[in-house]
Amino acid sequence: MNDRPTRSRAYADPYLAGVGLGLVLLAAYVVMGRGLGASGAFAATAAGATNAVAPARAAASPFFARYLAAPGPWRDWLLFELAGVAIGGFLSALLAGRLRREVERGPRISRRSRLVLAFAGGSIMGLGAVLARGCTSGLALTGGALLAAGSWLFIGAAFGAAYLVAPLMKRAWR
Amino acid sequence: MSAPLFLSDHAALIAAVVIGIAFGWTLERAGLGSAKKLAGQFYLTDLTVFKVMFSAILTAMLGAFWLGRLGVLDLSRVYVPGTWLAPQLLGGAIFGAGFAIAGLCPGTSCVAAATGRGDGLAAFTGMFTGILVTGLAFAPLQRFYDSTSRGTLTLPEVLHLPYGTVVALLTGIALAGFAGAEWIERRQRAPEPEHARVATLVPEQEPQA
Amino acid sequence: MTPLHRTLAGAAVVLGAFAPFAGSPYRTPPAGIDIRSLATEVANEEDHVTAIELATWIQERKAGLRILDLRTAEEFDEYHLPHSENLPLEALATTRFAPDETLVLLSGGGAHAAQAWVFLRALGNRHVFFLRGGLQEWLDDVMSPTLAADAPPETKARVSALSRYFGGVPHTGTALPEPAAANSVTALRRRGC
Repeated sequence: MNDRPTRSRAYADPYLAGVGLGLVLLAAYVVMGRGLGASGAFAATAAGATNAVAPARAAASPFFARYLAAPGPWRDWLLFELAGVAIGGFLSALLAGRLRREVERGPRISRRSRLVLAFAGGSIMGLGAVLARGCTSGLALTGGALLAAGSWLFIGAAFGAAYLVAPLMKRAWR
Repeated sequence: MSAPLFLSDHAALIAAVVIGIAFGWTLERAGLGSAKKLAGQFYLTDLTVFKVMFSAILTAMLGAFWLGRLGVLDLSRVYVPGTWLAPQLLGGAIFGAGFAIAGLCPGTSCVAAATGRGDGLAAFTGMFTGILVTGLAFAPLQRFYDSTSRGTLTLPEVLHLPYGTVVALLTGIALAGFAGAEWIERRQRAPEPEHARVATLVPEQEPQA
Repeated sequence: MTPLHRTLAGAAVVLGAFAPFAGSPYRTPPAGIDIRSLATEVANEEDHVTAIELATWIQERKAGLRILDLRTAEEFDEYHLPHSENLPLEALATTRFAPDETLVLLSGGGAHAAQAWVFLRALGNRHVFFLRGGLQEWLDDVMSPTLAADAPPETKARVSALSRYFGGVPHTGTALPEPAAANSVTALRRRGC
C-alpha cells in the first residue's frame, strides 16, 4: 500500500530529512558562525528595492537601515542563501518528478481564493517576521538549536496561533 | 580545525548558495514544498512539519553541543538570535496566523514557487509585500520593536540549569513528541478500502514502511 | 518503528543522555561581560588609539583594519575618514567580524565609540579599539595639528607629513589660523556624542 504521486518518487522519511536539515544548519554554524534564514533575504530585497526607487524613504526607515549599511543589500548573505533554496528545491523536484504548475488547494476552494489567501497569509507572515526578527528558519530552527529563549518563545507563539487560526481555514483544505 | 571558519566576502556568498541549495533540496525531499502537506500539520493529519523541524533542531542542537564540547566548534562565537520578549511573542503569533492562512512559510514558499506552485509564488510575493510595507511604515513600530530586550538569553540561563541538562531535557521532550506524533497519525489513518487505492496527484500522508 | 528510526532515536538518546555529564560546551566564556579583564584593559589604556596611531595604520594599510563610524548617515556623508564604514550602534550586535580584523570605533566625541568598545569586546571580538577623542581628535590632531614649537623635529616632521597625506593643514605655534581649506572641517568640530 503506497499512495504516492503518479510518476514521481515518494517523499523522504521526515525524520531523515530533518536530520539532514539539522546537518545543513550545523554546517552553517561551522562554516559561517551563523545559521539559516529566509525573511532576512526578503527584508534585504525590500530595502534595496526601496533604496533604488525612493532613497529618501529607504533612509527614513530604521528597519531598512541595517540592510543598507555595508556591504549593501545585494550582497546580503541570506539573499544568496535563499537563491540557493530555490535552486535546491527546483533540482530536488526535478529529479523526483514533482515539478508541477499547480495551485495547491482543497476541493472546496477556487484557485483564485486560494491565491488570495496565500498572498494575504504571506503578508501577515511578513509583518510577524519583521517584529520577531526572523521566521521559522532564521529564528525557530537556528535559534532553537542554540537554545535561544526568544526562538522557543517564537515557536510556541507561532504554533499556538496557527492551531487557533487553522479551524477557520478548514474550507481551504478539506 | 578552529570553527566557526567565518568565511568572508566571495567565499561566504558561495557558501551561502551551497548551503541554501542543501536547505532547499532537503525541504523539498521532505515534501515541505507542498502547502497541502504543510497544512496537514494544523489539522493533525500530517505531522511532517513537526517531525522535520524538531528532528532538525535536535540534530543541530546535539551537534553544536558536542562539537563545542570537543573543542571543534567555538560555540560562543556562533551568532545566537537575541531575545525580545514582547515583539517575538506578538510577532510569533502573527506569523503563526499567517502561516495557517497561507499554508507555507518564507523558506517553503520559496521552494514551492521554484517547483511551479502558484500558491507558493503568491505566498512568496505576499511575504515580500508584507515586509516591504512594514519596513516603510516602521517608524511607529520602532518603540515596540526595541522593547523588552533580553540580549542573548538562552534557556539554560532562564531555567538556571546547565547547558547539557537542557539539551538532555529537550532531547527527551522531542523524542516523546515524535512518539506522540506517530500515535496521532496512526489514529487519523482510516483503514484503506480496496477501491480507494487510486493514484492521487499529491499524497495526503506517507505510510511508514 | 523502522530500523532507521530506531537508529536515529538511539543516537539521540545516547548523545542527549551524556550531555549533562559532559560539562560546558563553551570553550571560551559566552557573550557575557568579563568585567575584570575589560576593566584592566581600560585602566592600562589598551582600549583606545590616538588619532595619530590610527592615521599611521591607515597610511600603512594595516591588514584587516576596519574603521567603524557610529555617527548618523548625514554626518558621515558630510565628512568621514578615508576607508571608514558607517555602522549604526544597533547594527553592532548583528554584524559579524572576522577574528583577525582590527576594529577601530569612531563617533563624534568618543562616548558612543567607548560604549561600542564594551559591546564588541563583550561579543568576543579581540582587536577592538576606539578613538577616545572621537572625530574631533582626528580633526585636531591629524587634519589641522598644532605642532608645538619646542617639540622634537622628527615628531614635527612625522606628524606634518602624516597630516598632509590626509589633506590636512598642519601649523606651528599656539595660534589657530583658519585657512580656507580647513573651513569645512573646522565647522564639524562642535558636534556631540
